[in-house]
Amino acid sequence: MDWKKFFIAFVAAFGFIFVFGFLWYGKLMHGAHSEVPALWRPEAEFGNHFSWLVFGHIVIAFFLTLLCSKFVPAGGPGPCAHLGILVALVYVGNDFITYAVQPITMKILCGWIVGNLIMFGVAGAIIGTIYKSSTPAASQIPNS
Amino acid sequence: MKRFVFAFIAAFIFIFLWGWFYNSVLLKDVFAEAQSLFRPRGEIIGLFHWIIVGQAGLALSFVMIYASGFAGGGIAAGVRLGIMLEILAVSARCAIYATQPFPAKFLLLVSVGGFIEMIVTGLIVGAIYKPAVARTS
Repeated sequence: MDWKKFFIAFVAAFGFIFVFGFLWYGKLMHGAHSEVPALWRPEAEFGNHFSWLVFGHIVIAFFLTLLCSKFVPAGGPGPCAHLGILVALVYVGNDFITYAVQPITMKILCGWIVGNLIMFGVAGAIIGTIYKSSTPAASQIPNS
Repeated sequence: MKRFVFAFIAAFIFIFLWGWFYNSVLLKDVFAEAQSLFRPRGEIIGLFHWIIVGQAGLALSFVMIYASGFAGGGIAAGVRLGIMLEILAVSARCAIYATQPFPAKFLLLVSVGGFIEMIVTGLIVGAIYKPAVARTS
């Protein structure tokens, strides 16, 4: 494994996921989230728990980079974006379950699904563009 | 393709049964502590088909990821994939913990159940699905 490229890909993925998350979930979906205020922590309490949000994003970026580097060793934006979208589908399944058990609106559900697909797809493409193994290896993920 | 479908069905059945047993039976009291964050029971039953669709989607995407790049490794690769995907899910729960007033104990127990669910799912998928090359050799 090329650790230098792995690290750069991980940092880039984290940067994208964090900024995208802020813009998509924090700004664009702010109105939709405000429709069910009882579900969210108050602003001050959220500030106190902000480190958990950052930690969660770091782990997501790290393990997505690890998945891409281990199982798409040749890299490339297409195959890694494909893997990213497959990972997003796992989250989409959880979003459906959340909709059934928590009082979120259909607008929030759709926003989360689209957000997950864009976030993981683009993050995968970023990782695939940056991470290329030093040893030429054939991709195990078929190019979609 | 036949093994893909078998793996998907087996994974879905396990996820469904485990989800029911762990969340509705074992964690019943823990869920009750955070009742204000959930829909009333009657409403959840009315939306139950969304749970089925979500769990089927989860099983299908697991098998698709496994078939895409992990299939050569057998059961060990399936378990490894399950652990990696659950770590991603736990990190998403960290973000949920930051934004929603869930008790930490609740998310911890849900994550423990999630690890068991994804490890066993990986075991099932790894045991059933074999890539065409591995089957012919």
